[in-house]
Amino acid sequence: MIEMGKILAVHSYKGGTGKTLLSINLAAAFAKHGKSVCLFDLDFRAPSLSTLLKIDKAECWLNDYLNALCDINKVLLDLSDRVGNSGKLFVGLANPSTEAIRDMSAKDRKWEMRALGRLLALKTSLLNDKGFDYLILDTSPGLQYSSINAIVSADLVLVATTFDRSDVDGTRRMLRELYDLFEKKTEIVLNKVLDGSLRSGKDDVDTKLKDVYQVPLLGIVPCFCDVLKAEGGVIFAEEKPEHPFTRIVGEMANRIENMG
Amino acid sequence: MAKEEALARKPLQVLEKIKENLEKLNEKVEVMIELQKHDRKDLQQPLSDAPLDVMTLLSMPDHLRKTAMTVCRLGRATADEVAEQTKRARAVESAYLNQLVIMSHLKKERNGRKAYFFVDRENHV
Repeated sequence: MIEMGKILAVHSYKGGTGKTLLSINLAAAFAKHGKSVCLFDLDFRAPSLSTLLKIDKAECWLNDYLNALCDINKVLLDLSDRVGNSGKLFVGLANPSTEAIRDMSAKDRKWEMRALGRLLALKTSLLNDKGFDYLILDTSPGLQYSSINAIVSADLVLVATTFDRSDVDGTRRMLRELYDLFEKKTEIVLNKVLDGSLRSGKDDVDTKLKDVYQVPLLGIVPCFCDVLKAEGGVIFAEEKPEHPFTRIVGEMANRIENMG
Repeated sequence: MAKEEALARKPLQVLEKIKENLEKLNEKVEVMIELQKHDRKDLQQPLSDAPLDVMTLLSMPDHLRKTAMTVCRLGRATADEVAEQTKRARAVESAYLNQLVIMSHLKKERNGRKAYFFVDRENHV
């Protein structure tokens, strides 16, 4: 039996946990491992992938696909030349214009139901027909319609979280009241961890996190000053292959690849 | 000769019809049993306008959410196909699917003896 590709949703309770940086570097890491990857910006309220990738125009946006105005092929932008190796990296962008953000914020339940159908259809059109290994959905934080649609469509949800008290509480609630209800396979990524927190030992942090969240931990990302200073302007997996951040994201990609 | 063949086919057609009706009756009985089990709480929603969006899925009882999610994933499915995914009995899935039809979340279409369930995303009023 041919193994089918996977849809990964990268989500968080609060904003600023590093979802987009994680998504883009994870996508680049998969591509560097020779995989075919699609990265979609589903954060329609605050699109950022277009800025990070320095792309200001697209033939069609993901907004158009979800509005049933175009085929998904018209949304895909090929960025494979940026990652080298034998892998492929395509992206689908959210329209960053104010008008588009306003339009997406005013959608009703029936539109969201249709949008869910179009997201679920990507499993066939991108993973089956086009043979992509991974479709990564970078989502809005919290309980937004577009994020929950992405979670329902995903095979695996990566939850980016920090040691911030309100983030920990909110994430724990979301695990019980959202992901569990949809029976989603979930992994935690603890981001922006200060040196002091790791001093007691990584294994100790691992155990504590598993106790708090009761779900597997995909990885711990220390707080790197140069990652913060780059302000999202550098794709580390692409431009700084020797950086520890790149190594950690590469290890996460390996673990996902080895999951059944 | 043709008349004899037609006459010979008639009892078969009658039996097929009886079987079909019995299956329909069985499905209705299954729905009634399930509704009694769950004290009809699942049917307290408006029936005319019930899009199957994620917030509706979240507010559903667990047993129906599992069935509804499976249909969402499969697109269009029979009770057998849903049961294969959920690892629950076909009769149970048939009852849940019919409940979701009554609640206007799913549509049901017959093709011969098979009943298909689906989310009618395009024609939802």
